[in-house]
Amino acid sequence: MPAKIESIPARHEPPLLRRLLANRSGAVGLIIVVLFVVMAICGMFGLTPYPSVEQHPRDRLGAPSEQYLMGTDLFGRDVASRLIEGAGNSLRVAVLAVVLSGTLGTLIGMTSGYIGGMVDNILMRAMDVFFAFPAILLALLVVAILGPGVNTTVLAIAVVYTPIFARVARGPVLSVKAMDYILAARCLGLRGVRILFLHVLPNTLAPLIVQISLALSWALLTEAGLSFLGLGTQPPQASWGVMLSESRGIAEMAPWLMFFPGLAIMLGVLGFNLLGDGLRDVLDPRLRGIR
Amino acid sequence: MFTRKSVRTLLILLVILALGSIAGHAQDNSNVLVMARAADATGLDPHTQTAFASLRLLELIYEPLVTLDAQLNVVPALAESWEFSDDAQTLTVHLRQGVKFHDGSDLASADVVATFERILNEETGAATRANFLSIESMDAPDDSTVVFNLSQADVPILTAMTDVNASIMSSDVIANGDPTTDAIGTGPFMLESWQPEEQTILNANPDWWGDGPFVDGIDIRIIPDESSILAALRAGTIDFALLNDPLVATLLADDSTVVLNRAPAIAYHVLQLNAAREPLDKLEVRQAISCAIDRQEVLDTASLGEGQVTGPLTIPAYQLPLDGYFCYQKDLEKARELMAAAGMSDGFTLSVIAATAEPPTALSEAQNIQAQLAEINIAVEIESLELSVYVDRWLAADFDAAIALNGGRADPYTMYARYWTSTGNLNTVAGYRDDTLDSLMAAGRAESDPAARFETFADFQRHLVEMAPWIWLYTGYEYTAQQPYVVDFIPMPNDSLYYLNQVRLER
Amino acid sequence: MRYPSMWRYLTQRLIAFVPTLIGVSLLVFVAIRLVPGDTIIAMLGTEAGMLTESQRTALLEYFGLDKPAPEQYVTWLGNVAQGDLGYSVRHGAPVLSVIIQRFPVTLELAILAMIIALAIGVPIGLLSAIRHNSLIDLAGRLFALIGLAMPNFLLGTLIIYGLSVYFGILPNSGDYVEFTEAPLRNLQQLIFPAITLGFAFSASVMRTTRSAMLEVLGEDYVRTARSKGLRERTVIMRHTLRNALIPVVTLIGVEMGYLLGGAVVVEEIFALPGIGRLALNAISQRDYALVQGIALFVALNFLLINLLVDLLYAAIDSRISYAGQN
Repeated sequence: MPAKIESIPARHEPPLLRRLLANRSGAVGLIIVVLFVVMAICGMFGLTPYPSVEQHPRDRLGAPSEQYLMGTDLFGRDVASRLIEGAGNSLRVAVLAVVLSGTLGTLIGMTSGYIGGMVDNILMRAMDVFFAFPAILLALLVVAILGPGVNTTVLAIAVVYTPIFARVARGPVLSVKAMDYILAARCLGLRGVRILFLHVLPNTLAPLIVQISLALSWALLTEAGLSFLGLGTQPPQASWGVMLSESRGIAEMAPWLMFFPGLAIMLGVLGFNLLGDGLRDVLDPRLRGIR
Repeated sequence: MFTRKSVRTLLILLVILALGSIAGHAQDNSNVLVMARAADATGLDPHTQTAFASLRLLELIYEPLVTLDAQLNVVPALAESWEFSDDAQTLTVHLRQGVKFHDGSDLASADVVATFERILNEETGAATRANFLSIESMDAPDDSTVVFNLSQADVPILTAMTDVNASIMSSDVIANGDPTTDAIGTGPFMLESWQPEEQTILNANPDWWGDGPFVDGIDIRIIPDESSILAALRAGTIDFALLNDPLVATLLADDSTVVLNRAPAIAYHVLQLNAAREPLDKLEVRQAISCAIDRQEVLDTASLGEGQVTGPLTIPAYQLPLDGYFCYQKDLEKARELMAAAGMSDGFTLSVIAATAEPPTALSEAQNIQAQLAEINIAVEIESLELSVYVDRWLAADFDAAIALNGGRADPYTMYARYWTSTGNLNTVAGYRDDTLDSLMAAGRAESDPAARFETFADFQRHLVEMAPWIWLYTGYEYTAQQPYVVDFIPMPNDSLYYLNQVRLER
Repeated sequence: MRYPSMWRYLTQRLIAFVPTLIGVSLLVFVAIRLVPGDTIIAMLGTEAGMLTESQRTALLEYFGLDKPAPEQYVTWLGNVAQGDLGYSVRHGAPVLSVIIQRFPVTLELAILAMIIALAIGVPIGLLSAIRHNSLIDLAGRLFALIGLAMPNFLLGTLIIYGLSVYFGILPNSGDYVEFTEAPLRNLQQLIFPAITLGFAFSASVMRTTRSAMLEVLGEDYVRTARSKGLRERTVIMRHTLRNALIPVVTLIGVEMGYLLGGAVVVEEIFALPGIGRLALNAISQRDYALVQGIALFVALNFLLINLLVDLLYAAIDSRISYAGQN
């Protein structure tokens, strides 16, 4: 994430990163998120104490020890290793879902708002349908149709969030469209797509970025919820949601199985929320005066 | 709008409510058994509802001609006695006298005939019909005698009649009523109300022919999450519960306040290989898989050791010592040799389907097998599917391998004819057939001498394990749990709740 | 508020419901039929393999699934227009009556969660904003962040486990009684699920109240009021709260819209017969008519709540008028 944030054009102000670090929420959030991302990258490249699916039948349900820092699960797999792999999968699901819905939603919202008229009407009506469609039912149907798994989870979350992004993106476009410099650009004969991307998009970025960091935290929680219903990431692949839901039956016997993934999810969500707060404080001009 | 005072009042109210829940033991003096389970019946027609969850309700309301005792012997229910002719082609059943349906009408032979006619009628859609195809005609010489004329010697038909799906319905309901809504049986309990996925109320049948029931009724509550059932048992808000998940059930094993019943199950956990598909069509490959899997380890991992490793037949009377089976001791060397003999030393990818929570142990079994088969270079890919999707694929035999928990029957023929006879309805799902199996099954069907039957089915089992079309893993327990004051329940290996008719509450 | 324009506005909004609902109906009709496996397999499980072809046909006919899909859709939509949502094969009852029987649970749960959320979230939010950057503010924000970060099934599990193991008390579950029947018993059963849902909800309310309040406190008219020497309490109660509540109303609208769609996880854990579990089971049992009915019903609720929220805006904030919207 940080790489993306730095690439935002910030013309007359100090770099975003520095402003973010000066903000208490933003700094703490950023640190947690960076830690999360490092962990996720380790997980994706298999940099774990043990292979995350390696079973040690003799060490089943072992409490945290020197050998296994966070204990072992039903199969004698190392919980710490699975937590690291889980970070990778959880982050992948959250990021992919948000990138998918963010891109699609923003495109729809911007196009709709910019072109206006019939197109706006039809696109927004379609979004209304998805908005009004019960979110849970929609996610459950997507999973039932495609079968449970990482990609399905991504899609199920994305389908639910796309209309939200579409609305978030459309609003600012409407107001920016009417501004003088866009009218000027039009008069200069710039083509629609160019105007949209060069002039309209940067101006809608602030609310979008805030929305993205919040959506990431929702996606993490939704992944956990779907996994609880047995519909999320599928074992033996680990995600924090799967680990947490797998632990429910035996948490009484082996509390560490619930504690560590539970803590991880909460910290992850906390991190994204704090980062979102920080970004909003820094990016949203309406609130800037208060600080 | 929200003054401090109103907030304070609200919080106090919340605390009072929370504390008020101490009064959770609501039914302290009642003689109604409060029972909880995770899944509800899917319908009320005993001839078409085959889900375990449906049977557990319907067996309290309806009764078949004969039933099973805890040792799985066939014992009288609505039939007081019965006899086969010497050629096993005629079965004469004498009905119990004085049995009344819940609507007050008397049970007569006409009801039995109407029932089996309904089962045999294709429009009914009764899955159990396949077990009764040898019925050629039925006679009712008097009100309490039914004669089944069979087209061939069919001893197992009697065990098939113990099935809840062969329950006797009133001929009046069949002709004029709607069995999907009118639950009129002869059983120990009568249906008062059924709110699907919520609550079912049963009243004791005062006219029941047997000795009992000793409770005034049963209040069945659906609590979908088994951890919540466990919590309710501990808090004492329910008297009796059905549990499926061995991980949850074992938590009660050391609990002094709740009694856990374990009945060794006849349902079996199995890895079905589809021998119709490459490379599983090679005997050596299937045998290699059989040799590479430590069945005890699967049991220990997936079910915390709750159960026994098993061969094909899970009925106690037909079980064989495990060391007589091919490769029931893990033998990696032999497995590797077999793989080499099949030209598959480099291994292959095996896709295994498993249903997400049916049974709760399915994914754990798949994961353990995945780890074990990796040792002989077989890369297992687990495809976890929602239950109906899984069943859809399973019925179409659209899988390389499947993790399954298959129900057992009290008779080996009824249990396996569907899979291991070449004309069996599910032979394509089983994915394998050979002449030995066919001839052994035919012999077992006609044989009425128990000792000879045992030998026939012993050969059948040994052959089946050696051909390894499926890898039989283990049988678990059927769990029920109850408060200490609930007494006289008889836990059944087929999970039947019929003997709730003997339960007493000694609060 | 000029009434003629309000009526016109209302009529316009209600008419706009129709295309949305038709879209929802089409979407759900197609989606549920794309799910592999059918009603028969869901009902019979592996035993479905014991059926002959004509037995299968007979069952399909019984469930009304033997006709081509477009014909089924047109028939269904025609019936819906007359208020008949179809027949649930699983419940053996009309879909509408099944939904109406379950809806009070969901509605009550949502309202209780909202009350809890407001009772906790608004005061803490206000306090945090007024004592901006104080220790109270920090504690309040921390509470909110934890509330947002806690997966509700984890909270629900912990509550149930704590109550049953450490206190040996637990409200009866699985025998839900309606509020009108036994109010106290009903509240006992719903209070813990409501707390589970209300915790995260109150966190959002707190955050929204706080930031809205901060924003309003920074505006000119509040500064003016302060400089006129009005007491702080008066300033807050009379001048700022009303305007700060607008985003809270928006939030409540959104959250209620989702909660009225059913809270599957909490309903599962606490064994409550709400709309969420009904939907989950209807999908897994391939009860087509029921799934379709739920989708339409919940969508209609959602639209009505949005409308209600828009009306509330106007009531709270006189700056908004209907004429300005299209």
